[in-house]
Amino acid sequence: MQPLQLFDLAFRQNEWLAQRQAVIASNIANANTPGYKAKDIESFDEVMRKTLPMSVTDAQHLSSGDGSSILAHEGNSTHAEILYSGNDVSLEDEFLKSGEVMRNYSMNTQILKAFSRMLQSVTKA
Amino acid sequence: MSDPLLASAKAASHGLFAQSTRMRVLSENIANAESTGKTPGADPYQRKIVTFQSLMDDDAGVDLVDVDEITRDKAPFRTEYMPGHPAADDKGYVKLPNVDMLVELADMREASRSYTANTQVIKQVRELVSMTIDLLRPSS
Amino acid sequence: MSLSIAMLSPNINRLEDAGTGPAPGVSALGSAQSTVPQADFAQTLASMAADAIATIKAGETTAMAGMKGQASLQQVVQAVMQAEQTLQTVVAVRDKVVGAYLEISRMQI
Repeated sequence: MQPLQLFDLAFRQNEWLAQRQAVIASNIANANTPGYKAKDIESFDEVMRKTLPMSVTDAQHLSSGDGSSILAHEGNSTHAEILYSGNDVSLEDEFLKSGEVMRNYSMNTQILKAFSRMLQSVTKA
Repeated sequence: MSDPLLASAKAASHGLFAQSTRMRVLSENIANAESTGKTPGADPYQRKIVTFQSLMDDDAGVDLVDVDEITRDKAPFRTEYMPGHPAADDKGYVKLPNVDMLVELADMREASRSYTANTQVIKQVRELVSMTIDLLRPSS
Repeated sequence: MSLSIAMLSPNINRLEDAGTGPAPGVSALGSAQSTVPQADFAQTLASMAADAIATIKAGETTAMAGMKGQASLQQVVQAVMQAEQTLQTVVAVRDKVVGAYLEISRMQI
């Protein structure tokens, strides 16, 4: 039983954020690898748009599954210069993205916690 | 990726290993910046270079970085006029390593920065995982 | 079918407060359902229980997959949270229904 659509949305966004974190980690780890181009994944709006229509009553439909639909692609950053080695990872950009991931992820988990508490107070009273 | 957060930690730990290998080689270069040969006309310490490569890990879905190889720099050696030196050739010149201290130090700074960036990734992943598991903790 | 808790709990309370017998309570509950207007209470409870069992089972499967490394952390946490909430809901409904039944059975006829 899924009382709230919010839960599903929050978890789906968290999955997307986790995948973005993985791509950011790859970029940072390969910051000195010659020829490596920084990658990013498509935006959350894109991902949501691709999985429409969402019908609330079908639980299967809303679960994100293995997330294989989210593909990493290169060439995201607007102010990364390509170095002599062919590497274009900018650590500052990656830190910025990383901070965004952390903020959104904490907000989602706090929202989830709050709504979960609310539901618990309804069922326990 | 089955679990992107674990994959992030894996990518970061490979990064840490690669950067620490790089720092080891750099410190070898710095330590041997003045190491000459022992016999007349012998070659001195030859600068080492680390090359990285990236490999896509298909289960994890991340690009892992690895040390490709550690090669020797083929740049020419410096020479200095030191006639009394054991490694001096018949003209009195000694071959010195092709290590430029400034380049090595600058490289060391960059390696250190990359290393720190990777540790920050691991710290952030740890916090994200902890937050998620915390959701299951009974509140009140 | 998915009943939201918000929809369900005021009607359960109403059933308890009415205490005059099952018939008016059932029709009150029946009219509150958005999906099937004429469903009776027993059917509602049965489908709710089946739903709950399915959610809890799914929670178990996902948790095991997570332990084997096949599911992501978010999926595991989501499935377990939903299983927990479902169980709490079912227990709350059961308690209310049992309480209502006991109250009704205590009535002097």
